[in-house]
Amino acid sequence: MHKVWALIRASWLAASSYRLGIIFSFGSLIVSVVPIFFITGALQSTMANVIRGQGGQYFAFLVLGLVTLNVVSSTIYALPGGLQGATSTGTLEALLATPTPVSALLVGLSGYEVLFALVRGGVMLVAAAILGARVEWAHLGASVPIVALVVLAHLPIAIITAAMVLAFRTRGPLPQLVLLASTFLGGVYYPTTVIPGWLESLSAFVPLTYGLHALRAVLLEGQGILTVWPEIAMLTAISVGTLVLSILAFRAALAYARRVGNLAQY
Amino acid sequence: MTATAHAVGRQPTVASATSAVVLDGLTKSFTRQRGWRAVLTRQTRELVRALSDVSCEVRSGEFFGLLGENGAGKTTLFKILATLVTPDAGSATVAGFDVRREPARVREILAPVIADERSLNWRLSARENMRLFASLHGLRGAEAARRIDELLALVNLVDAAERLVNGFSSGMKQRLLVARTLLARPRVLLLDEPTRSLDPISARAFRAFLRDEIALAQGCTVLLATHNAEEAFELCDRVGVLHRGHLVAVGTTSDLAREVGEDRFALWVRPADQRAIDALLARGVIRDAKPFATDEQGWSRIECDLRGGAEGAAETVAYLTHAGVSVSRCEPVKLSLADLLERVLARHGAGGGRA
Repeated sequence: MHKVWALIRASWLAASSYRLGIIFSFGSLIVSVVPIFFITGALQSTMANVIRGQGGQYFAFLVLGLVTLNVVSSTIYALPGGLQGATSTGTLEALLATPTPVSALLVGLSGYEVLFALVRGGVMLVAAAILGARVEWAHLGASVPIVALVVLAHLPIAIITAAMVLAFRTRGPLPQLVLLASTFLGGVYYPTTVIPGWLESLSAFVPLTYGLHALRAVLLEGQGILTVWPEIAMLTAISVGTLVLSILAFRAALAYARRVGNLAQY
Repeated sequence: MTATAHAVGRQPTVASATSAVVLDGLTKSFTRQRGWRAVLTRQTRELVRALSDVSCEVRSGEFFGLLGENGAGKTTLFKILATLVTPDAGSATVAGFDVRREPARVREILAPVIADERSLNWRLSARENMRLFASLHGLRGAEAARRIDELLALVNLVDAAERLVNGFSSGMKQRLLVARTLLARPRVLLLDEPTRSLDPISARAFRAFLRDEIALAQGCTVLLATHNAEEAFELCDRVGVLHRGHLVAVGTTSDLAREVGEDRFALWVRPADQRAIDALLARGVIRDAKPFATDEQGWSRIECDLRGGAEGAAETVAYLTHAGVSVSRCEPVKLSLADLLERVLARHGAGGGRA
């Protein structure tokens, strides 16, 4: 854990040395909430019925969807991005030559981006709340394990993409496919119930569907975490099943890269 | 290992209690990347042999140089030792641990100095770079802080410790890379052309640092890959010569030089009578004569191999004098690294000349 935090801290220090970038990152986030506020306000009457049971307020519904999608996107792209960066700078060789477990390197290289996305998400939620979004802040603690499971459920995609980067120097189509599916079938902009039948059944294969359903129930409806146990169980099953496979894939990619000698080539 | 230079045979290398690194029949090939045409026409993949049956032993505390042309296999060998590349055949052990079976143990003992400056995080200060790698090596708290201070002082970067690395000179970055590598107190250090981006004065200071602090004070076993003659002759107890993946010779630099270059002499003659020189060449007394420019006093410097060493030199001087050619000086020539390599390769039937 100490090694993971050291990597995350180093990433934070490096990122925060670009002060203007950090300021713009938060500034643009806050500014982007304003148009969402007006657009969702205009659509509120249309959406009110279909999002009943998920907060009922379209502004809060959409902001929470976008925040979660941003966390998912960061989770998926942080690790392969970090790996590509470390490969092109030569840091990867130096990191791999230390007695650090590969799992710690994986979490450490991607941890900062994911945590930063969570902080950005928190800031966006607060900005939305100031504009009138109804969020059950008392249930914020209950949302933490759900968010952690959402991250865990998407980590395997990141690890498999990182394995692709390591072995073949390309991310492949997987992250785009997953993000596309999450965006349009995961219930980010609209509840999955409005999707045509055959497409709606596909949304059952998208982890974000369960994550958003649980988060909205807890944070927008004020329900207890126990009421969303089916979603939590599904996210846990997806996480455990795919995490094992992805770690095996990464180990195979690492062994392949060591065999062909392209570990530090870009 | 004998002290004298010798061609490397195929006998298995036996590790002793004092062995830091033992290579036994180490072999590695890479597949050359094919172009689109080759892929579409299903041409077979071309294998490039990077290392071929390399066997050698490096003793604890030894400063061992690896010489060879570009593409000779030096970096591949280092990467195998650093567990970044797996060998196809043979074995490599570091302090008795096999790089393939016990890579984690090897990484605790051996540290490669990644010479690429970009492997530092340029947006972090020198101290933060050190702190990160201290954590990755399992150092924490006061122990880590003490070790970092100690090493920054060792590489003379205390005053620059809080500055971002992006403002460092190449020399400072190289010193920081070495300091970073020393965090874990490695017993074996791999240095791949560490002075290639340094100016001559910084390079000399860096060599002194390597010799005095790393080898003598810290007692590290150092494997140094270099193209620099000064570096090899000044630092290395022994050198190995790699040629196209084959380790063709191992020995002390002076032994190697003696073996392949003891007959090289420089003569100052006046006049530079080409007929006399040709006659000596024809008689086989001298070989490979290279005349240099004549100075203002009319003395010409001729560099050549003299058969029979000092006796051959006496015979040559006598012959030239008899032919009416004055000889003011005759002295042995210290070979450049390029000459040394060329001769070692020629001596061991590795193609001779430049590959």
